[in-house]
Amino acid sequence: MKCLLPCNGLDKCAGLVSGQAAVELSQQDDFELICPVLLNQNKSPYEKILAQGDLVVIDGCNTRCASKLAQSLDLKIKDKYNVSDVAKSMDLKLGKDLAVNETTKAVQKALVEKLTQTEDKKEASTFEMTTIDYDSFMEGKFVFKVPKQGFFFNENDCWVYVSGNSARIGVSDYVQQNLSDILYYDPPEIDDEIEQFDDCGSIESGKAVFEIIAPVSGRVTAVNEALQDSPEWINESPYERGWLVEIALTDEVTEDLEILHDGSSYFEYLKKKVAQDV
Amino acid sequence: MSESTFMGVDREKIDWCPTIDYSKCNDCMDCVEFCPHQVFEVREDQTPKLIVKNPNNCVVFCRACSKTCGLDALSFPDKTETTKKIKATRKAEKAKKEAGE
Ligand code: SF4
Ligand code: SF4
Repeated sequence: MKCLLPCNGLDKCAGLVSGQAAVELSQQDDFELICPVLLNQNKSPYEKILAQGDLVVIDGCNTRCASKLAQSLDLKIKDKYNVSDVAKSMDLKLGKDLAVNETTKAVQKALVEKLTQTEDKKEASTFEMTTIDYDSFMEGKFVFKVPKQGFFFNENDCWVYVSGNSARIGVSDYVQQNLSDILYYDPPEIDDEIEQFDDCGSIESGKAVFEIIAPVSGRVTAVNEALQDSPEWINESPYERGWLVEIALTDEVTEDLEILHDGSSYFEYLKKKVAQDV
Repeated sequence: MSESTFMGVDREKIDWCPTIDYSKCNDCMDCVEFCPHQVFEVREDQTPKLIVKNPNNCVVFCRACSKTCGLDALSFPDKTETTKKIKATRKAEKAKKEAGE
């Protein structure tokens, strides 16, 4: 069962669409509706369904009121959608007008379809990572770890680890320290073709949303499904258990890697960056 | 101070910073509060109140402030184009160096 928490924002078209899509879905057996206003007042009417089902958040816009509400109540978000992003991906604009029209109907329909789709998950390959040797430095009370070998980094603090024709992508210790408790991982779609420096998904904490900037080009072959239940692995183990995406590499990989930092060069880069932050 | 290079290229040669759509912006200043790099400037009693003051302080490929803007008033250059330019600049500089040495 899925528990739907829309933002239901009344003063924006996108908020209205979030509410209407949730109401439409709640007519189906597998969905329960949560009213954000009541939830904010009192969690208890929803405790039973929340214990039984997965929480799915539908935000209207990037203010992310519904996500923030869930986070403030320590509710685990299993999946989330953003009406404005859905509209954007369809090249549609939700205007200021609050009335139902062709555009809002189309976006609502797409959203409902997304939510009722059953995903075909692909298993992660048998990706081999050798034992990792770390270098570390301290700044204040924080310790920053960087792997000595095998990893390459861009200056957006994302890493890549190449093994044969495939690679894993993740974020560095710096990102997870900065965001603090990571609450949600939004993965890219399987088979997405990604260019170097494209974004491939995002991670989110109470503080901010961080776009994953791909260090190399490739095609997404797997995502770390385990993070859906345990996003905290990104904090605990950003270079190992908290990996994010697996990709099949292209021929350009040598050229891509050429402009990246290796472990020791990123270590120096990060030291400077952290020193500037304080 | 910001980084003066990005992935080995002079930051000044890379065109990357937010553009504010003033027809959407309502001066809520969520973006300003969010960005730690002094990219924006808030000018009290002036119109527009919010401007991009230090475009080169913006972290190339970062779009984080736009994720805080509920009105979707911030946009960025095309990533693929920017990547192409960075790679081309690196190549040109490398060739120059090799020719010089
Ligand atoms: S967050 Fe958006 S609406 Fe608010 S000041 Fe920034 S650009 Fe304007
Ligand atoms: S894109 Fe990032 S660095 Fe640039 S202004 Fe926005 S938050 Fe600041």
